[in-house]
Amino acid sequence: MNRRKFLKQVTLWSAGMLMVPPVFDISPAALGAKTDDAPDIFAAKGKDIQAMVQTLVDAMGGMARFVNKGDTVVVKPNIGWDRNVDQGANTHPMVVTALAGLALEAGAAKVLVFDRTCNEERRCYQNSGIKPALDAMDDRRVACEYIDDRKFVPVQIKNGRSLKEWSFYKDALTADCYINVPVAKHHSSSGLTLGLKNAMGVIGGRRGRLHMDLSARIADLNLVIQPDFTLVDATRIMLRNGPSGGRPSDVKIMDTLIAGTDPVAVDAYATTLFGLEPADVQSTVEGFHRGLGQMDLSKCRITVFDT
Amino acid sequence: MAASGKDAGADQGMDPSAGKTGPGRGIKPRLKTVRTGVQLICLGLFLWLFRITDYTGSDTIPWAVNIWFRLDPLVGAVVTLATGTIIPLLWPCLVVIGVTLVLGRVFCGWVCPLGTLIDLFGRFVHPVNKKPVQLRFLKYAILIVLLVSAFFSVQLLGFFDPLSLLVRGMTFSIDPMFNFLVTGGFDWVYLNGPAWLSDLTEPVYDVFKSFLLPYKQSFFFLSVFSFFLLAAIFVLELAGRRFWCRNLCPLGAMLGVVSKISPFRRIPARACKDCDMCRTDCPMDAVNENRQIMTEECNLCMDCLAYCPKGITSFQFKGSLQKHLPDIGRRQVLAAGLLGIALPVVIRTDALSRLPAPDVIRPPGALAEKDFLATCVRCGECMKVCINNALQPLFLEQGLAPVFTPVLVPRLGYCEFNCTLCTQVCPTRALEPLDLAKKHTFVLGTAWFDKNRCIPYAEQRPCIVCEEHCPVHDKAIKFHTISVVDDQNRTMALKQPYVRQDLCIGCGICENVCPVVGTAAVRVAAKSSMPDTFGSGTSYP
Repeated sequence: MNRRKFLKQVTLWSAGMLMVPPVFDISPAALGAKTDDAPDIFAAKGKDIQAMVQTLVDAMGGMARFVNKGDTVVVKPNIGWDRNVDQGANTHPMVVTALAGLALEAGAAKVLVFDRTCNEERRCYQNSGIKPALDAMDDRRVACEYIDDRKFVPVQIKNGRSLKEWSFYKDALTADCYINVPVAKHHSSSGLTLGLKNAMGVIGGRRGRLHMDLSARIADLNLVIQPDFTLVDATRIMLRNGPSGGRPSDVKIMDTLIAGTDPVAVDAYATTLFGLEPADVQSTVEGFHRGLGQMDLSKCRITVFDT
Repeated sequence: MAASGKDAGADQGMDPSAGKTGPGRGIKPRLKTVRTGVQLICLGLFLWLFRITDYTGSDTIPWAVNIWFRLDPLVGAVVTLATGTIIPLLWPCLVVIGVTLVLGRVFCGWVCPLGTLIDLFGRFVHPVNKKPVQLRFLKYAILIVLLVSAFFSVQLLGFFDPLSLLVRGMTFSIDPMFNFLVTGGFDWVYLNGPAWLSDLTEPVYDVFKSFLLPYKQSFFFLSVFSFFLLAAIFVLELAGRRFWCRNLCPLGAMLGVVSKISPFRRIPARACKDCDMCRTDCPMDAVNENRQIMTEECNLCMDCLAYCPKGITSFQFKGSLQKHLPDIGRRQVLAAGLLGIALPVVIRTDALSRLPAPDVIRPPGALAEKDFLATCVRCGECMKVCINNALQPLFLEQGLAPVFTPVLVPRLGYCEFNCTLCTQVCPTRALEPLDLAKKHTFVLGTAWFDKNRCIPYAEQRPCIVCEEHCPVHDKAIKFHTISVVDDQNRTMALKQPYVRQDLCIGCGICENVCPVVGTAAVRVAAKSSMPDTFGSGTSYP
């Protein structure tokens, strides 16, 4: 319902019928509509990233559950830093290409990959390996695009507790299917950065201003950005000095991917990889209290695949 | 194509009749077309190198984008004098000297991109008076001032080197203006126009972005000043064609002096008594009162091949050394020399040299300040290539000598941890090339916190955005976690940042991202103003 409403408003807007930027209205009724009391969490362990992604997507019901023929699909990795794959600050490129490939197989007309980076965007896209990997797919339907500042639109977050209005990236709001692909890593402000925190990459404005009440605001952002599913890249996790890191000794190989349609549950499970409890990550707690999902792992159905 | 609109007319008007009378008339005028072609190719090469002076997905710049400065013998001479060392990177300027020894000032007439732009401009704007304003001595005087003051280690190349003026003018004002206009137009349609219209314009915009526009809009201090400085060179065309080249350009003066030895001369070496065309139509005003062709003024544009009504002019290797000296008097030489001596002295007595300069954060790889000022040619290449638009030109904040030299302005842009592009494009190694390992440890300055503004101190609220962004592998920004009680009597943990000066490299990302409105609560101070260097490196030079 939410997305349809976005779509309608944005279509009207881009048709030039409204001269003022739209205000996106998040209706309270839609909130928590997707919440499942006993959500599924799927984890895959192994070295073959392509196979692991395939396994997880199949477990969730296959890409066809999320992507219809002709859809525009957004795959939103973390490309925040000018770091290489081994430094673990960005999503692994193979996870991104695997998802893009599956989306195309399911009939997507367009797969958009983007992130608003922290370091210079060209360096991040390049050195994360994500742009070269997507370019190597050599498919015109796949677009690894730099953020276009013109596409940020103000959104009112009516149910927001700490944040009432912020600008969001239009392509993220209008996508038919939004796949959230964060990398799991340490973050000095929020404890860990996982799926919910990844929404920071589709917002405009001076993001540092959110840090004064970061976890609550991350949850508020996720009232707007509601992924069809979240797939956490924990092939290697950054244990210290996050989110930018840099030292190989801060990175631990985990060979794990975690997926699910409940963003809070996925984050809660990913937290355990760091030896922490779900409640240790404040954004997870805030997300749970907003009705975005389940953080009590004992109530979740967890399936682990060894590939 | 001819060099100017006026000449193009003369060219066409003269050709049919001349074809009957003069031998070889069909071939010689074509040389002018060849010259214009060469000029346009050189200008195209210049513009292409300018455009690719940017990050292109590789950590190294594959082309010698700085080649124009390395070809510039004025740069070679002044920097060698000012530094007292030979800079191997500048060897290509010997090629230009060599060519000038043989052929004369062909660089000015055939190659120099500024000269070509002036010629193109001259097609549309013509001098007010037929007789051009003649200040030939001035360019020699400027050359003498530059060389003498360079000998006393003060380098003022940035004010007069033609390529420096051109590249800086383009970097600081022309290119940003171009992008602003084009992007602004497409953006306006995209944001305000109907969808069907932006569906048409956006693909065109994509083509522009791919081939013509810079990657993103840049902003520079001195954009207005640089614009007027460059514009002045063109406006001076109203006082006579190639006014800059004839009267002001110290590079032209230098090549002119060298070209006196060149045997390649215009024949006849004197203008005919019964005709004034050589004197009135020469764009370089190279014929003196005695009707003699002054080789040091001639830029071999070959226009006279086309306009000579008799068709008797040619260029041949027949010249002998001319007796006349360059058009500057002994008193003028003396005055220029004295000014060249006075300037370094008066600059050194500026009180600014006695003050620490915390805002003069030099780019990575920069030599020690004194050597840096002697070596940097103010070409603007480092500022052009800077991926975050972080390097900005100084104006008079530090006195006359450092005008146009680059400094990092972290609030505008920080120094990207893994980027070494500025050190690669520097034509004189004022910025020494750094490999990544060296770059990671090269200290530009150090960060310091203003606790009166820093949010976790002043407002007792969480922040540490600076610590998150700190790229150094053992973070230079660390924090203490303290326990605070808020106004609702809730106890919470608060992280208060501090700097480890021994780890900080002064990249400025902390200052750049600091969410405090206005002046950042964490700021970078230049290396020269750090406590352990203060007293040794501050007094210039």
